Amino acid sequence: MPIAGVTSNTVPSELLRAAGFFPLMLNPPRGPAAYADHFMEVGVFSARIRGIFHGITAGLWPFLKLVIIPRTSEQEHKLYLYLREIARQGLGKSVPEVYLYNLLHSRSAETEEYGFERTRDLKKHLEQLAGRSIEAADLARCVCESNQARVAIRSLLNLREGTEPRLRGTEALSLIGAAYFMDHAAYAQLAAEAGAEMEERPPARGARLLIKGTPLHHTGLHQAIESHGAVVVAEDDWWGSRCLGEPIAADADMVRSIFDAYYRGTSGPRAFPPEMADKWFFEAAAKADGVVFYLPPEDDVLGWDYPALRAALAQRGIPSLLVREDAAEGLSSECHQKIEEFVSKIPVRS
Amino acid sequence: MAEKQLQCTAAAIEHQKAWFAQLRRDVFENQKPYAIVQADTPLELFQTMDVPVVSNQWWAALISAKRLSPAYLDAMNTRGFHEGLCRYCSLPMASTLCGDVAPAPWGGLPRPALLSARLTCDCIQRVLAIWAEAFGAEFLPLDAPAAAELPPKWWELSRYRWSELFEEHRLQFMVAQFHKLIAKLERITGRAFDLERLRCLMEGVNRQEEYFEEVRGLICAAPQTPVRMQEQISNVMAAQWLRGSEWAIAHARRFRNEVKARVTNGVAACPAERLRIMWVGAGLWHDMEFYTAFEAEYGAVFVWSMYLAFGPDGYIRYGLDDPLKALASRTVSMNEQLHNPPWANEWIVEQAKLHRADAALVLTPLGTRPSATGNRFIELALERAGIPVLPIFADMVDARTWDALEMRRKVARFLNERVVRRTIE
Repeated sequence: MPIAGVTSNTVPSELLRAAGFFPLMLNPPRGPAAYADHFMEVGVFSARIRGIFHGITAGLWPFLKLVIIPRTSEQEHKLYLYLREIARQGLGKSVPEVYLYNLLHSRSAETEEYGFERTRDLKKHLEQLAGRSIEAADLARCVCESNQARVAIRSLLNLREGTEPRLRGTEALSLIGAAYFMDHAAYAQLAAEAGAEMEERPPARGARLLIKGTPLHHTGLHQAIESHGAVVVAEDDWWGSRCLGEPIAADADMVRSIFDAYYRGTSGPRAFPPEMADKWFFEAAAKADGVVFYLPPEDDVLGWDYPALRAALAQRGIPSLLVREDAAEGLSSECHQKIEEFVSKIPVRS
Repeated sequence: MAEKQLQCTAAAIEHQKAWFAQLRRDVFENQKPYAIVQADTPLELFQTMDVPVVSNQWWAALISAKRLSPAYLDAMNTRGFHEGLCRYCSLPMASTLCGDVAPAPWGGLPRPALLSARLTCDCIQRVLAIWAEAFGAEFLPLDAPAAAELPPKWWELSRYRWSELFEEHRLQFMVAQFHKLIAKLERITGRAFDLERLRCLMEGVNRQEEYFEEVRGLICAAPQTPVRMQEQISNVMAAQWLRGSEWAIAHARRFRNEVKARVTNGVAACPAERLRIMWVGAGLWHDMEFYTAFEAEYGAVFVWSMYLAFGPDGYIRYGLDDPLKALASRTVSMNEQLHNPPWANEWIVEQAKLHRADAALVLTPLGTRPSATGNRFIELALERAGIPVLPIFADMVDARTWDALEMRRKVARFLNERVVRRTIE
């Protein structure tokens, strides 16, 4: 089965699967990135995007037949252009075909129509690559599998809710994030088994915290927080609680349904207006004992939201803490101390 | 500040002051609407509707030139906006939110009727939403699909074959958003939009940019540059913010005439010119003296910045049967032409050759990350074309991390080690 790399949560994996591709989230481990050092500006791109650029350009993933990059962040658009330029100038080892999926995230009739048309374009492109048309039955099957995965994730998320969560955040992030790397039907089965096993566990004790900030494609922050006796019960993050979202409606126009799920149901830095982006956050915060804002040095986006969100939480009597270090690199002892003090002072609601 | 060599430079600066004073009077005394917009928005639509616009980037440059950026940016950090956030596009907002720490230039910005931006980067929607809330004004975003196809040598297509240069769906989408903006401006002004008036304005923009093209050609062809880069910027941008207006066209003509006369009379900006330098990136607004600091010792004159050169290549649109679509083609890819490969690197190398550049300084603004992209490709392309490059890591408006003396030393070392020796050889 040909493998298509994707760079974030807004590429409709159902279309890829229906065309016979296996969609794989690109998430290289942190390490040397010589190509990024040479072609990407210092301090401008996140470590994850640099890693993806290096991996593709250095030919580390020769199994990739295609890479689909959505217009979900500006860094991803630049990644697309840089990869195209590397290919144009013949500077990389073997850059696969790179496709830009121009999904917009502001809410208006124009952006919705534009995004739907681009989704239809993506389908046509995949059909060309596959050498066959994507039939309604293909889509129905893939949406069904995707929905099974979505339901399974919902079940895992349920284990994190309430006053007696059964699933710690560190485990949850790994269990949920696995959906981006697996066959959805297989994932749904394994996730259901894991959920059943965890239901029998004694509840996790400690302050129940929500994380908000730069997407966490690693468990560094969760581990650090939970090492101080707290439980991360949610994260406003597509790697965790915002993964996949609600099941896709089984309407007659399946492409429209798939598009709707990605246009309306996914989180991302370009969602506008802000009230829409904040709705999920405030609902989740109301169920938590406190919030950890995560804005590592590479953040230049969510820091704009932080002062207002912090103030809004204070008004609601919800304590919050700001972490400005890179959790993937390991937090300093000072930061650990701050987390410990924060956790120890939080009144745990029952 | 180096002396103004052109009379039109002083006239441009005076006109901007008078224009802004009039805007304040109109807003405060006559309750007339005005708008605050990002530089890459369709200013022409506002112009057509007689709604004056203050460009966010112009106001940021002005704050920075008045040495006010450290006070405002420190105050923003105190409010909880961390030090890693973009500064160029947020400094004017800081002057509103933190107006108590220092009086803003020229009396400050009054409350606008509207703020607008193209959603190019991921943070501008946040900056303008916060700013709009502080003003109690409305923010109208224009979403920005990304370019997927970027044909080579864009500047050869942009004037006559612009519809081939940009993807049709992006143009159509931008036009659809223009209609929303127009409807908003109609409500604000109580007047109907006149498409013919926009067409006339677009023709005026073409005339204005043709004058700039003549100036660019004069700078390329003259034995020594007749006009310093800083004065190019002052004259060009004063007109660009009002592009297509009678004043802007007349000023562009006056600028052309004065530069032409200097060339005819053999007048050089720096008679000792020996090295011609390009400045790639936004202006270093807090230290404009930097650009004349290497004339005396090295005869090094900054001859090129994007501000003049981009005018003719980026703005001229011939074939105005559908002026809205033509305007969309001007608006839709402004950042991509200046900051994205392959468009930015190809164009800048072409410009370097036309301007006989001996070296280039390339600004990577760490305090404004979206403006930093594409720079490595630009640097590598220039070096490959035989033009030595010095990368400059600094912010265009934030003076807090700028060590003026050290940066002058660094450039001097670069000129000694990589440029002077090479030109002698």
